[in-house]
Amino acid sequence: MTLEEAKRYLLDKAKERKVAMEVLGQRDRELSLKARDGRLEEITQATQGGIGVRVVAKERVGYAFSEQLTPEALDWMLNEAIENAALQHEARGFLPDGAALGFQDLAMGVFDAPMEAKAETALGFEASLRKDPRVKNILIASYTEREREVRISSTQRADGGYRHGLVGVTGSMVMADGESRKQAWDSDWSRQFGALDPGRTALELVERTGRLLNARPLQTGRYTVYFEPKAFAQLLAAYWWLWNGRWVLEGKSRLGGRLDQPVASPLVTIIDDPMLTEGLLRRPFDVEGTRTQRLALVERGVLRNYLLNSETAQQLGMRTTGSAARRYSTTLNVLPSNLYLQSGAGVPMKDGVIVADLMGVHAGANPISGEFSVQAFGLYVRDGEVAYAVENFAVAGDFLTLLKNITAVGETLEWHLMGMGIGAPLVEVQDLSFAGT
Amino acid sequence: MLAEAIVSDVLSLARAGGASFAEVYAERWKSRTLRVLNNEAKEANSGLSYGAGVRLFFGEEIVYAYTNDLTGDGLRDVTTNLVRLKGRSGRVDARGRGGLDFRRAVARGLHGAQVFFDAQPKSYRLTLLKDADAGARIAPEIQQVDSLLSELDQDVLVANSDGVWVEDRRVRTRLRVVVVAQDGADLQTGSYAPGLSMGLEFFDRHPPRDVGRRSAEQALANLRAKPAPAGTMPVVIGNAFGGVIFHEALGHLLETTSVARKASVLTDKIGEQIASRVVTYVDDGTTPHAWGSSEFDDEGAATERTVLIERGELKSYMVDRWGALMTGYRPTGSGRREDYTYAPTSRMRNTFIMPGDSSIEKLFEGVEFGLYAKDMGGGQVRPGSGEYNFGVKEAYVIRRGRLEEPVRGAMLVGKGPDTIMKVVAVAGDLETSPGMCGSLSGSIPVEVGQPHLLVSEIVVGGEAR
Repeated sequence: MTLEEAKRYLLDKAKERKVAMEVLGQRDRELSLKARDGRLEEITQATQGGIGVRVVAKERVGYAFSEQLTPEALDWMLNEAIENAALQHEARGFLPDGAALGFQDLAMGVFDAPMEAKAETALGFEASLRKDPRVKNILIASYTEREREVRISSTQRADGGYRHGLVGVTGSMVMADGESRKQAWDSDWSRQFGALDPGRTALELVERTGRLLNARPLQTGRYTVYFEPKAFAQLLAAYWWLWNGRWVLEGKSRLGGRLDQPVASPLVTIIDDPMLTEGLLRRPFDVEGTRTQRLALVERGVLRNYLLNSETAQQLGMRTTGSAARRYSTTLNVLPSNLYLQSGAGVPMKDGVIVADLMGVHAGANPISGEFSVQAFGLYVRDGEVAYAVENFAVAGDFLTLLKNITAVGETLEWHLMGMGIGAPLVEVQDLSFAGT
Repeated sequence: MLAEAIVSDVLSLARAGGASFAEVYAERWKSRTLRVLNNEAKEANSGLSYGAGVRLFFGEEIVYAYTNDLTGDGLRDVTTNLVRLKGRSGRVDARGRGGLDFRRAVARGLHGAQVFFDAQPKSYRLTLLKDADAGARIAPEIQQVDSLLSELDQDVLVANSDGVWVEDRRVRTRLRVVVVAQDGADLQTGSYAPGLSMGLEFFDRHPPRDVGRRSAEQALANLRAKPAPAGTMPVVIGNAFGGVIFHEALGHLLETTSVARKASVLTDKIGEQIASRVVTYVDDGTTPHAWGSSEFDDEGAATERTVLIERGELKSYMVDRWGALMTGYRPTGSGRREDYTYAPTSRMRNTFIMPGDSSIEKLFEGVEFGLYAKDMGGGQVRPGSGEYNFGVKEAYVIRRGRLEEPVRGAMLVGKGPDTIMKVVAVAGDLETSPGMCGSLSGSIPVEVGQPHLLVSEIVVGGEAR
């Protein structure tokens, strides 16, 4: 069966079994070209997808999915979903009323280039990385394109779909100068093939990594920190959970019950904007068929919104923010699309430590307690000038305290792809703890 | 899962297109998850994953494709496309499109399940998870108990142009309990997540009540804890999941994925002393029912017990097919992948430091001021520089050889090759613990392990005063 046929089959069965059902179909395509020593060493080409259902039976919600689209597999899936629903303790599940949403193609023209040009992008990127003699080893130099088509339908009349796509170059390499070695990784994504500039991306990666060589140890103490955009984006990607409506409901977010209260420095405005023109991941509506909107999570330091879907909104007595997200294989949650810290008036540097990159954020940042202690790489700054590179240290603190201690925000946003689009400028934070020697 | 004629056809098509080696990997797995929060069933999900990956070697160059379309036409299309991508269509291999003579091997069930998926109703699982919840309610500060049961039942087929035809079935069960304890505005967490390659008989070995209680004890310890000290100091690392430090700092540096590209700082060091003499390090894919065990790897090679380091001397790397081709090292059955959407690379299985001859008491005796890292979180490493870090989930201060107050928020930071030289003593209480390891070929189940051991100095990232 095709996805479309499977969807109709399932909706018919749902009517037969008298359950409400939402069907989410996804089809992904990927092309990846990895260059090494002036040739394409690895090529990956793929299409993949599946179908997931959310069933509401007797006001209880159950999930199931399948990548095999035969009647037997779909019947198994439907049975499982209904059985899963019966396990539920709470009986207040529902599917939101839907509407005809049409199909939006947001990937038009994204991939427009011949295969040769794509191969040349990967090869050119690798060649550019290699120009600097300190680059000893290139682990990854690749061109990647990703396309996703999403279709939703429900017994509550939701029906629509969209397609979006991204292209990017990814590099990972080892640089060395004498005994000093640094490994770095970065990627640059765009929604237009023509907008990629592999030469510039390579140069930036080499510059950003090369300046960290011959680092000295950093003395344990408290410093003013200048988080570069990528490092701040890494923190934001680890702590977006604080705004997850489900975490608020379940008492796991320290932002619970603090709407319209100051939670950050007045310099802090955090936005999620799914249809932002320069955003990396765009979606016109969420997986429940709710139209997306620009959402201020924090406005000049004041907590304004949580990220909600219909389920968490109902339980909190609020309205959904159109932030519902799931893959066909997972259960309903929320996810930002293009989350960013709004740029500010600029950062005049004085004395402190520039944090260029963080490592081990997934292990060292606890979004429930808010505490973090993560390995950092950076540069020591004296009188506004970079004095030398520093290494072998960890930066520690509490994320909400950090938001309060932000004393300046840079003028230019930089975008990264970290499971979502994340944008951040340079950020100055007072009085953070550093553990070194 | 796939008819021999289809597989044979695809492999021949690839060889005819100029591929020096061709492989088909197909899988079908059923999965179930159930989450119970504060004694109430929340999300329950079931799934059926189904797909195949076709990998072709053209000398040292690799092309890979994956699809959910496992029909003969679907797989032939994918293969023809791959050949065209290499621009080599037209070249015909001497073997032409004739059939291959497969050597069939089927898993013997060394890690097999006794109580399968469908042997118990869903309500049985709910009861178990409610037990875990009850086990965690040991103090009024326990605010929230979040339990997740994951069950996987995977059928795998690997066939390649060398005539390998392997069928394996992998059943895995894991329970994760996360406990949040609260004191005023202070929220702290504890967690414990045992997992094994077996069916629901897993719960005989890990009664849910015990899993809940252990998680809760950790959350309470963290609630009492003060911020960890910051600086360089001696560290006693706990057994079991404590082994994650050497998984990150050492294990990843010994995978041919990095070694073949000379991207690991431990490249070309076989026979050299790379660790302290008290360290013997083993990667074993054969431990019965261990979380990272399987009878065959994802390239169809039998798994084995590989001694990586013996008394500090490097003996072997972890070698997959491509790694063997690039380096000439003997393959070690280490080709692994998350699922069909990834081409395999060399990966760890169950990796641990062997028991030493020190007693646990002796490890603490000489420490004037240091850290006891009792339980670890995850970590990360950059093989090209050896730099690693990992989070500590439960820790205590050591003063004058005595264990004192609990501390939290510690992160251990260093360079793997330095740290492994600074292991001064290893105790005898080896235990292993499961985790998910993320790398180029996705997220896969592995075990890490070690006895208690003492490292003379590590940078501890805590809070500077």
